[in-house]
Amino acid sequence: MYLRTYLLQAERLLDWTERESRDSWEDDFQRFALGLFRYQSASIPAYHAYVEHLGIDAARLTDWHGIPPVPASAFKSHDLSAAPQGKEAAIFETSGTTISRPGRVRLGTTLLYEASLLPNARRHLLPDGARLPAIVFGPHAEETPHSSLWYMVDHVVKKEAKSGAWIVREGVPRWDLADEILEEAASTDQPVLLLGTTLLFMAYFERLASADRRFALPAGSRAMDTGGAKGIRAEFTRDEVRRGFATYLGIPDSHLVNEYGMAELGSQFYDDTLLAHVKRRARMEGKRIPPWVRTRVLDPETLREVPDGQQGILVHYDLANLDTPLAIQTEDLGTRVGNRLTIAGRLPAAEARGCSLAFEQFVEAERRMAPQRTEEPR
Amino acid sequence: MTSAFYLPLGLEEGLETTVQRFGPAHDALELHLPVVTADDLTRWIEVLREARETNLATLATSHIIRSLDKVAARFLDSRDPARREAIDSLSRSGRFTVPMIERALDDAFQPLVRGGITKWLVSELGSVHALDRPVAGPGGILRRAHGPEWMLQIYAGNVPALPVWPMLSALLLKAALLAKTSAREPLLAPLLARTIAEVDEKLGACLAVVWWKGGSADLDPVAIRLAPAVMVFGGDEALAGVSRHAARGAHVVLHGPKVSLAYVERRALRFAGLRALAARAAQDVSLYDQQGCLSPHAFYVERKGEVSPEKFTEALASALEAASADLPRGEVPAEDAARIQLLRAQARFEAAGLAAYAPTSVELMDPPGSRSVLGNVGIHGATKVVESSGSTSWTVILEDRARFEPGPAHRTVRVHGVDGPEDLARALRGSVRYVETLGLEASGPERARLAAVFTGIGIPRIAPVGRMQRPTPLGTHGGVRRLLPFATWSTVEAAPARSKPVRNAPARRRAPGRRASR
Repeated sequence: MYLRTYLLQAERLLDWTERESRDSWEDDFQRFALGLFRYQSASIPAYHAYVEHLGIDAARLTDWHGIPPVPASAFKSHDLSAAPQGKEAAIFETSGTTISRPGRVRLGTTLLYEASLLPNARRHLLPDGARLPAIVFGPHAEETPHSSLWYMVDHVVKKEAKSGAWIVREGVPRWDLADEILEEAASTDQPVLLLGTTLLFMAYFERLASADRRFALPAGSRAMDTGGAKGIRAEFTRDEVRRGFATYLGIPDSHLVNEYGMAELGSQFYDDTLLAHVKRRARMEGKRIPPWVRTRVLDPETLREVPDGQQGILVHYDLANLDTPLAIQTEDLGTRVGNRLTIAGRLPAAEARGCSLAFEQFVEAERRMAPQRTEEPR
Repeated sequence: MTSAFYLPLGLEEGLETTVQRFGPAHDALELHLPVVTADDLTRWIEVLREARETNLATLATSHIIRSLDKVAARFLDSRDPARREAIDSLSRSGRFTVPMIERALDDAFQPLVRGGITKWLVSELGSVHALDRPVAGPGGILRRAHGPEWMLQIYAGNVPALPVWPMLSALLLKAALLAKTSAREPLLAPLLARTIAEVDEKLGACLAVVWWKGGSADLDPVAIRLAPAVMVFGGDEALAGVSRHAARGAHVVLHGPKVSLAYVERRALRFAGLRALAARAAQDVSLYDQQGCLSPHAFYVERKGEVSPEKFTEALASALEAASADLPRGEVPAEDAARIQLLRAQARFEAAGLAAYAPTSVELMDPPGSRSVLGNVGIHGATKVVESSGSTSWTVILEDRARFEPGPAHRTVRVHGVDGPEDLARALRGSVRYVETLGLEASGPERARLAAVFTGIGIPRIAPVGRMQRPTPLGTHGGVRRLLPFATWSTVEAAPARSKPVRNAPARRRAPGRRASR
């Protein structure tokens, strides 16, 4: 039963990603989502209890809008997986956004995850079909087996890149190694693909600034940066990041692609920059919601769906989530216009909150006391 | 145009200013702000020090108290333009509603009038004259207190009226004051300084209140390095900055981020008093929308009372609904609302899971205007969520075990069932440093016993439920007194007794060595 459901789903998704030039597949989405929901509510005990408690009859539901989302934080308090214990193909840890301990996303198989991530990465990072040497500003997946981000990056390198080099070794960023690799890349005509977290890139740029050093990477070089744990929750403005890539690596705005993802979701969201450049069209606002994902934007006060263009809480419905619930309520804010999603960056804290202990400060302080990790899993 | 700064006469000349919009776009105030440079700061500090020498250093404390009493009376008088301007400008930001701002002003100024300032001073320095001359203290020793020459105070903007007691404390210590306001609330401090100057120009000459961007590498260290005394409210980063730059020997008081909690003893849990108790609890939760350190984020409620923690939860929910009409909530940033929604969803999810393992048939009355998601009493996680419908106005989450985790605020509160104070003490292990106040509902010997337990684990302030947001100037803040940390002392020890005892103080009605009360 399990295998059959999986294979069906994977087949559908693979098929879908192949014909993704059309963005709207409402009927298909409806059918697949409801099938997936029926499967998940029957085979994830904690989700089953929730669905039952809400009085929802999975067999009778006719509209995916009625699928109850689980709060992203529930991965920290509950086991939310249909995969049999001990037989996981991968266990990803979620970032500690609300409760300090991380949650666990247990996957019985990663094939569906891969089926979602690869065409998406290809479309946004390699729309010209280039096969490039990859330089990862992060650790190898083997060093961080519970990070969905580094799993994803690793998989992209394995399937799409000419070669791979990793800057973080044993949890430590090896900047000298980065210098060496980039120097070599800059001396050839071979463009490169950089993949990493915004934080690490910016830390490296700071170092280059103090050494008064910069590299001019060959034309066609490109970079994917990601907020790592929390989309674009940034200590930097997007402008600063863009300026950093242009100044220190010679990577223009058109070749810098920001990605947003979370361990609780099998699918990712990418900027349109490089794709627009290759297709010689104007860039579209925001990130693309893959056709096998729906994102609802809810009014933060009323939880009613808001019209396009209005900001609200993001709730994702992701068909690439097979073993874990497809509907996830986040605490991220954003706006949607059609299938474009803009995630609201949190401004750098303009001012301390005074004597009130902010929720996140507390969590932050607690986390700082926990053993250090260079890279947060997501 | 509103001036969002105060500088003593003469300093405003030649000052470059900018205009900034403050508050919601549709109703923004245009604020007049000085452009502050490092040179300005050092010059102003010089001027303040001179002004203090001329005007304040030798001024009798009774004079200062009389003037500050008048200032307090003005902010309590609903017809006075100072109070009216305070209410008008603070409400413009939308963060707090008018009834809450009125409460903030009342609670800040009422304890000061009718002898309040004198009591405050005496409670800390032993005598109202301690800063004027040597006065008899315990053991027959004469003591004279000295305030710092000037103080640097850095305010936070999280609650209205935060700058009131700190600004007054500087003047009471006969110290000049350079105050940096918060970008979130830059209005009350300059208004207070202006009002002080209107009442007493000598005091007004010793105050400067300005805003500059906190963390400015060229400004913060300049002021901090020169200051003999610093009081700062802020997050960890701001506090670390002050510690790093403060001069050696400077008196530094740092008020970092904290929250408050409340504890209800089982004998206080009676149906007869439940509504009143819940109303008092709801006041503490609702005031200032949990933006301040005095706001309770959780109630620890003893089991086995006449009223169960679950019944208390419902009563608190009804009272919060009522409070949302009497004390309307301020505007809530979308990020915070999203956090509240996620917390509610998480609690519902937990409650549902528990219900699944032990199906319940408990029927409960829901307060009007709310919906409730029921679960059965379980061991871990939320067992019940009661929330305002169609908004994040208020949320009460019942949990069956004690733990400590601050909530996302804006009237979001947890109720934890406990067997006794040990449960709370255990939950706070390692986290007591985050607690400012414990509201305690208990009476008689039980209250004394519980107060002993909770002060024993280091909680700095215990207050009755319903008065958590109304501290007294006689108490502590962040575990320290309000004047004492900045005072230094001269003492005069008594000459050894010869054949006839020598009186060491001008003979009054009081015997030497007895503690003077005034």
